[in-house]
This record gives sequence, structure tokens and C-alpha cells, in this order.
Amino acid sequence: MKLTGRLFLIIMLIVLYLPIFYLAYYSFNSAGTMNEFESFTFDYYLSVFQDSRLMVILMNTISVALISSVVATIVGICGALSLYFLKSSKIRASLLNINNIMIVSPDVIIGASFLILFTFLGISLGSVSVILAHIAFSIPIVVLMILPKLYEMNTSLLDAARDLGATPSLILSRVVLPQIKPGILAGFFMALTYSLDDFAVSFFVTGSGFSVLSVEIYAMARQGISLEINAISTMIFLIVLTIVLIYYFLSTRKTVKRGDLS
Amino acid sequence: MKQIYLLLTLSLIIGIGALLSTRFIEPPLGEGDSAIHIFNWGEYIDPDLLDQFTEETGIRVVYETFDSNEAMLVKINQGGTSYDLAIPSEYMVEKMQERDMLIEIDHEQLPNLEHIGEQFLGLDFDPENKYSVPYFWGTVGVLFHPDKTDLDFTEWDMLWDESLRNEILLVDSAREVMGFSLNSMGESLNETDPDKLDAAFQKLVELAPNIRGVVGDEIMQMMINNESIAAVIWSGSARDVMWENEELDYVVPEGGSNLWFDTFVIPETANNIDGAHQFINFMLDPENAAQNADYVGYSTPNDAGLLLLDESEQEDTRFYPTDAQQETLEVYKNLGLENLGIYNELFLKFKMNLE
Repeated sequence: MKLTGRLFLIIMLIVLYLPIFYLAYYSFNSAGTMNEFESFTFDYYLSVFQDSRLMVILMNTISVALISSVVATIVGICGALSLYFLKSSKIRASLLNINNIMIVSPDVIIGASFLILFTFLGISLGSVSVILAHIAFSIPIVVLMILPKLYEMNTSLLDAARDLGATPSLILSRVVLPQIKPGILAGFFMALTYSLDDFAVSFFVTGSGFSVLSVEIYAMARQGISLEINAISTMIFLIVLTIVLIYYFLSTRKTVKRGDLS
Repeated sequence: MKQIYLLLTLSLIIGIGALLSTRFIEPPLGEGDSAIHIFNWGEYIDPDLLDQFTEETGIRVVYETFDSNEAMLVKINQGGTSYDLAIPSEYMVEKMQERDMLIEIDHEQLPNLEHIGEQFLGLDFDPENKYSVPYFWGTVGVLFHPDKTDLDFTEWDMLWDESLRNEILLVDSAREVMGFSLNSMGESLNETDPDKLDAAFQKLVELAPNIRGVVGDEIMQMMINNESIAAVIWSGSARDVMWENEELDYVVPEGGSNLWFDTFVIPETANNIDGAHQFINFMLDPENAAQNADYVGYSTPNDAGLLLLDESEQEDTRFYPTDAQQETLEVYKNLGLENLGIYNELFLKFKMNLE
């Protein structure tokens, strides 16, 4: 049983990661196609860096991801807290359902409705519209990441803090937030990855020369995959890998320093 | 908790920093700067030409891409964008025109229009070229693997050959599929006679055993991977596939085929109409057209530009058919909703007949 389990794990990891490594491998191929590996070259990476349009788009993508996930995390914390402290369980359940609908509804519909909303409000398409849309679809994910942590929290902690004379804001910053920290971290990084790989919503709300990588790659791929796409994808993969490592580092440090409640 | 504050602030600072850094990579448009916004298919122009245009005219180019005519239509139709120039396919030109989404093109501002071959102007979708100027053109034909079949596909009927059991891919498009069936019977692909359409449908049903799949854009990757012997496909896609997989060959069967275009249009959202005209004129310059055709690889309608291409290219009758062949090519006419409905319905019935 142990052996088959391990075998299964190995096969799954191969299935998951082989395409990415295949793609990364050929991004160094001087032959220009993904058929045969000729010799090693950095040409495609150089041409990505020399293409100022692509660089701008790469920067746009990173900044949209970071800004939108920070804002979504903050709003999401507030949302999760207010859901948790709601008195009426009926309202809570229906609000939670509204939250979940955003997650399960198709991106195309969300994107199209944002396009209609923005043009209706007179917000011109560009950096602002993309960031707003990304914040909006990230918030439900953050809420969903944080809520379970709130329910795991021992409520007697709150009572104890109150007994000891802590003000509500002190309770929030010293007791509640540290308790749900893993949820906040998870929510932030989920929002980050959602934003990085979103295509459908971004397609509708980009405009005025402002574009993000997913939209650009999709348009480029129509003509068959050029190895520049491999190069960009490899870089994005490395960026995400770094983010995951940071997350890992942050979330495991907690177990080392048990007393860290401040 | 400090970690979280630190993480969030740091992310915000890096995010805003990255956003600001783009201003140094490409300075933003100032008040006085002249610029045009272009909306084009991905990888469908030589980027050097954009720089060259800016050098020559001082007009900056803001360039965005789309991946389907329909997606483009939605973005322009909804407003909120200010594209000065877009490059839809010919059927979409007609649709946009019907919705009053296009601005008339002033031919006096386009002296280079004279380089466009006569056979590419004044076609049904825009009889006076009031709204559109051809950018690239192409055909519908058969992309096939010569080593795996003895057929050469000079006739559409060869698709029905028994040796091709389960080996043909079709593009998922009613007009193309019904069109080649009509062509194979010697009819026009703009036929509206219900009996003839029904006959074309019956003929397609007979083709069913040979068909491996009716697919969308994946058709290109499937052909690159040699998953099928033959595919009915647009010449542009065929060209892209043949770059990746040199074993394949493309042919436009005799007996007629479709002639399609991608064209410049000026959407009504345009702010810089003069700039858009200047850009069209710039792209119509024979040298630029040749350079662009060389980069993109599609067939250019620019006769003077064609003469500047390699001879092997000019004489490649697969992508630049002879005059006699071109005679048999037809542009799709707008058949009206009712007839299009019949086409779509028959095509759907055909697809449901497949296993």
C-alpha cells in the first residue's frame, strides 16, 4: 500500500510538471521550434527583454497581481470578520452564498458584466479597470480562505481578552488577526495566482494600450507557439515558484516560534 | 502579525513601483503627442514597421491584439475603447457596417491604394471599398501529408476517397464546410437553392466515415503533430502549420474555393482618423507591404509589393494562385439571415450525424 501510494504520487507529480519542464526545456532551443533540440541559447529571453512592449506588459501583469491581491486581502479580511460576527445565521448563509456564486460563475460572464459596468459608469478601460476587476474576483477567494480559520478560533480567547480589559481594536489586532494569519496568507497568495493566470476577465477589461500577459499570450498563440512564449512562461513559472517558496517560508516559521502572537 | 503588514505593504510598493516603471520603459502619451490605437490579430504585423511608422510620421502606435473577430466586435461595440484602426475579416466588416460601427475611408488620403490588385477591390462585402482596405487574403484548401496518401487533392472529390477513413479534420465553420461540398458538385459556395443545399448536405453525410473531427483552432496543433492525414483549412492557418511541420503540403482544389480577406477598417470610436489613414497608406507602400508579408507569411494583395518578394514566393501557386485559379475563387456573399440559418442548420445536422 505504501509503495503504490508513493508510485501514485510520483506519477501525479510527473503528469503535473512534465509539460512545464518540457516547455521550459525548449525555451532554450536554438532551432526555433519544439520539434528537435538543437543547441542551447538565451536568444528568446533576450528578445523578450528587448521587446519593450512585452516588458511593459510583464510589468503590468506583476503590478496588477500585487496591487489587486493586497486590496482584496484587506477587503476580504473585513468581509470574513463581518460574516463571522453576524448575529443572524440566515443572513450569514445567504451572504456566504452570494460570495460563493462569484467563485463558481464563469469568468467570461464576470468579464462581460464588468465591461458593461465600466462603460456604463464611464470608467475608461485601462489599468484602473483591470485592477478593479481583479480585486473584485479575488475578494471571494480571500473570504473563503479566512472564514474557516475564524471558526477554528477558540472563542474563549475573545472572552478572556475582553475580561482582561482589551478594547475591541486591541482584540482584533492582538487576538483575532494572529489567529487567522495562515488564512490571510493563503488568501493573499491565492489571489495573487488567480490574478496572474486570469484570461477571460482580463480580456474584457483591458484597453487603451494597457494589456496583461495572459491576454497577450493568448493572441500570440493563435499563430502557433513561438518560443518567446516559452521564455515568458518559464519566467512566470519561476516567479510563481519564488512566491510559493516565500509563502512556505512565512507559514512554517510560525510553527518554530510558537509564542508569536504579536 | 508584523510579517503580514510587511508582506502587504511591500507588495503594494512593488506593485505601484512596477506600474510606474512602465513609464520609463515606454513613456506615456503626453497631451500634445499624436498617437493611433491599433487593434490587430496577435503576431499579425512586423513590429519593426510600427517603429518605422513612428519615425517617419512622429505618430506613436499603441498596439493591442485580439484572437477572434467576435472578441474584437464585443470590445469595439461596447465602447470604452478608442481604437483608431482594426483588422477584422471580411464577413465581420459587413457585420460592423450593418451596425454603423465604421467610418468611411477617404481614398484621397491613400495614394498607395493603387498598388492593390484590382481583383481584390470592389468585392461583395464592401463594393466600393468605402469602409475597408485589404490587408492580407487567402483561400480555403486541403492541408495534407503527401507521404501518407497517394491523393493530391486537386479535386475536392478526393476527400471522399475510401483510403481516408477517419483521417480528415474539418474546421468548425458552416460556410467553409458547406462551401467545399457545394464546390465539389460544381456549384457556387454562395448557393441559396434549398435543393442544391440539401444535395450538398447529403454529400457531406457520405463524407462522415472519413471525418476524424470537426475542430476549432486546435486543428493547427493536431496537424503539426501529424494526427491526421488531411484537413480542410484556411490558407493562412495552413501556412502557419507548414512552418512548424515541413512535411505537409497545401493545395486549393480545382472547382472553386473561398477567397477571404483581413482588412483595415476605421471603427467609429476612432479619435485620430488622419493618423489611421496615414498608417493604412504607410502599410500599402510596396516595400512595407513586402516586408510585412515576409514577416507574417500570408498572401499580400499588394501587387507592387508582391514583386519585391522572393521569386520562389511569388511563384508559389499554393498561396498566390494563378489567374485561372483565382477566377474560380469566390468571396462569401451576405446571404441574409434566413439563408445563413439554412447553412447553419444543415451544418449542425451534419455534425450530429457524426459519431
